[in-house]
Amino acid sequence: MEQVLGFLSDGANWQGEAGIPNRLLEHLEIALLAVLIASLIALPLGFYIGHTGRLQLVGINIANMGRAIPSYALMVMLLPVMLGLAPVLGYDPRLGLRFLPVFLAMVLLAVPPILVATYAGLQDVDRELSESSRGMGLTERQILTQVELPLALPVIVGGVRIALLQVIATATIGAFLAGGGLGRFIIDGIARRDDGMLYTGVLLVSVLAVGTDISLSWVQRRLTPAGVRAATEPGSVELRGSGAT
Amino acid sequence: MEQASGAGAATIEFEHVSKRYDTSAKAKGTPGAVDDLSLTVPAGRICALVGPSGCGKTTTLKMVNRLIEPTDGRILIDGVDIASIDVTELRRGIGYVIQQTGLFPHQTIAQNVGTVPRLLGWDKARVGRRCDELLSLVGLEPRSYGDRYPSQLSGGERQRVGVARALAADPPVMLMDEPFGAVDPIVRERLQNEFLRLQEDLAKTILFVTHDIDEAIKMGDLVVVMQQGGKIAQAGAPAELLAAPSSEYVARFVGADRGLKRLSLYRVGDVELRPAPVVRVGDSAESVRAVGRERDEHYLLLVDGTDRPLGWVEAADLEPGRVVSEAEADPATPLLDRRDTLKDATSRLLDAEVRYGVVVDRTGRVLGLLTLDAVMDWMQDDRSREVPGDIAEAVSEAVVIDDPDAVVEVG
Amino acid sequence: MVEIRWDWIAGHLDDVADKTWQHVQLLVIPMVAGFVIAFALAILAARRPGTIGPVTAVTGLLYTIPSLAAFAVLVPITGLSLMTAIIPLTAYTLLILYVNTVAGLRSVPAEVNEAADAMGYGRWTRLLRIQVPLAVPMIMAGVRVATVTTIGLVTVSAIVGGNRFGGLGQFITEGLQTDFDTKIYLGAVGSVILAFIIDGGLVGLQRWLTPWARARAERA
Repeated sequence: MEQVLGFLSDGANWQGEAGIPNRLLEHLEIALLAVLIASLIALPLGFYIGHTGRLQLVGINIANMGRAIPSYALMVMLLPVMLGLAPVLGYDPRLGLRFLPVFLAMVLLAVPPILVATYAGLQDVDRELSESSRGMGLTERQILTQVELPLALPVIVGGVRIALLQVIATATIGAFLAGGGLGRFIIDGIARRDDGMLYTGVLLVSVLAVGTDISLSWVQRRLTPAGVRAATEPGSVELRGSGAT
Repeated sequence: MEQASGAGAATIEFEHVSKRYDTSAKAKGTPGAVDDLSLTVPAGRICALVGPSGCGKTTTLKMVNRLIEPTDGRILIDGVDIASIDVTELRRGIGYVIQQTGLFPHQTIAQNVGTVPRLLGWDKARVGRRCDELLSLVGLEPRSYGDRYPSQLSGGERQRVGVARALAADPPVMLMDEPFGAVDPIVRERLQNEFLRLQEDLAKTILFVTHDIDEAIKMGDLVVVMQQGGKIAQAGAPAELLAAPSSEYVARFVGADRGLKRLSLYRVGDVELRPAPVVRVGDSAESVRAVGRERDEHYLLLVDGTDRPLGWVEAADLEPGRVVSEAEADPATPLLDRRDTLKDATSRLLDAEVRYGVVVDRTGRVLGLLTLDAVMDWMQDDRSREVPGDIAEAVSEAVVIDDPDAVVEVG
Repeated sequence: MVEIRWDWIAGHLDDVADKTWQHVQLLVIPMVAGFVIAFALAILAARRPGTIGPVTAVTGLLYTIPSLAAFAVLVPITGLSLMTAIIPLTAYTLLILYVNTVAGLRSVPAEVNEAADAMGYGRWTRLLRIQVPLAVPMIMAGVRVATVTTIGLVTVSAIVGGNRFGGLGQFITEGLQTDFDTKIYLGAVGSVILAFIIDGGLVGLQRWLTPWARARAERA
């Protein structure tokens, strides 16, 4: 639409804090940071559950909770809690206090997909392969890193993909509470009835999401050996990236 | 008893029927799944199609209810070309029983059995009566089985339901594809026997596919041995196939023990029994010896007052002046029934290591002796190879392949 | 830390009821519409398997779009009516309902389909009486996930909906604007509880629809 083009062609919109590049950067920064932190939690736990087979129940429950709790509800519930803890935590004046619950929600919601993908991907690796490696004298860590992980990698990347899409969508919503990111264009666009801004925001965030989905899917496919699971398996919908958070 | 509207049995005719999956030009000349099959199944008879896997027997079967459509030729039921009838209507008039039963898991047994009647628009009460009737017919108590689900039944019970379901609308034609294959041998034998008894009353035209030659011999009035491409290597009554296989292929398929298999086709009652040399309790030793001399026998059969066998006595053993009593008799095993197959009877004679066995009637009275000689006489007798007229006719009309031995290996 | 004013809630029960009712409406309408569309597409998939790929790709694409964007998209067009929320909500249900319905129909054992054909079931009667009932477990699995997801999404729609729509999410936005913790939690926790209740109801519905599965479980 012309309004979008109008917005995009206005040079002012490309500069400064409220400019497109900056917002995009903000969005990407927090998304990647959240996924990184979530991975630091989820990957080790996932390795443990997947390799040893213990604590399965913990894994399943975390997965279920992740699905049941919507991001918006989570972040608002955390808000008063975080405000109460503010003196202890300190805060970044740039983003304001309200940013923390958004970020925390993003991290928490990114954990289940990565966790599930990690342990499920490891468990999918043929038991016999691990057994024979053990028989050949590899240590448990070597089995994990040299045999199981490489084979489970596509699935794990899939989990990261889902997590990333999740946080991109959550960060978009988070603009309502505080902070920047591309969601800012949408919120402000509605508030100021600026259709150009609004649709630019919609377009940008959609392109970001779809682009992330497509590129990580491509990476996944490249990492997968022959015998790709059909996309129409019901469980695999869980394996799809979703903006519906 | 609820009678379905006058459905007798119908003939099935295959006229130059072919099925080919690859109809491209480059495939011409190569064999299809079924090549030019011509065969008539007489009404009211069981025709067993038997052959190795991939020979086209199941394809042939499925062309009758048009689950598979022939590429060439016609199939007629009671003279009507099945291609000219609406396919759904056709199928509602044909019973279909398969190995995995195909029972609908989400419906009760009663609902499963009532499927076709409901499709035909029968009213609820009539469907219910018919279901009860059929379940009883196949040996399942309607009260306890009707409301259960297929997953709650054993394999044998499920197969019975499958048969009941196929019979529900009293179709003149039944198609059966390895129906008893998925159960253990004991259950299978029972199901086969019960089905044969059922057929005695119902006299439906049945096309029965199996890979088991023993089952084909047992179940079929007409047995058709098939080869790759649905070609008929030999068609005939079971006795004919066993007594005179027409080629090396058929002989191998029927098995090297076909002589023994022939024995299972006949019963003790078919054979002429030798009169038993009987003596009674209380007869004097002299009269016993007299009977022995008269009949030229060393061993005489001691019976009681009601003609029931007590055992064998040796004439020479008896002391003069003594009276014969039970204590001196050796047990008269085996005791045979006229309904026993010759195979079972012969087996028991071998088992007891005797040359003849005592045949008794249902009440236990002696009827005569079955000797191995008499068995052999019967096997040589032409009457043992008598074939009913309609079967003979079907055999003569079946188009048989020229040289069955020329084709690649058996299964 | 967090102060919940139960007295306030007790005094505004009709408001709670209204918003809950709207939340339910915004759940049911998209679910029904989504189901009808997904079901029609699934039947198409049975006739023409070639459509599965493209349809899955399109519905998947819709699913990937971040929710806030999806709700914002229609604001200039349909304003602040319920349609602005209903259309995106429906779009989000499509992928999972479609994929699960297709898989469910495919899960019917081949011999059951064959037997149905052989008995003389026509195509449509076979679909209705044999395939769909047996596909219920997988379809219901999809319905459950779609339901829980939709309930969550309705809360997000309140960001865009102002005081017009958003169900219990409206409590959240109002609470945020007025710094009123009670409302925030009422909206957030309320929607999660609603999800649990309805999910429980769906489990019950599935059990009621599949008596034969119960029988099998009893036997085992």
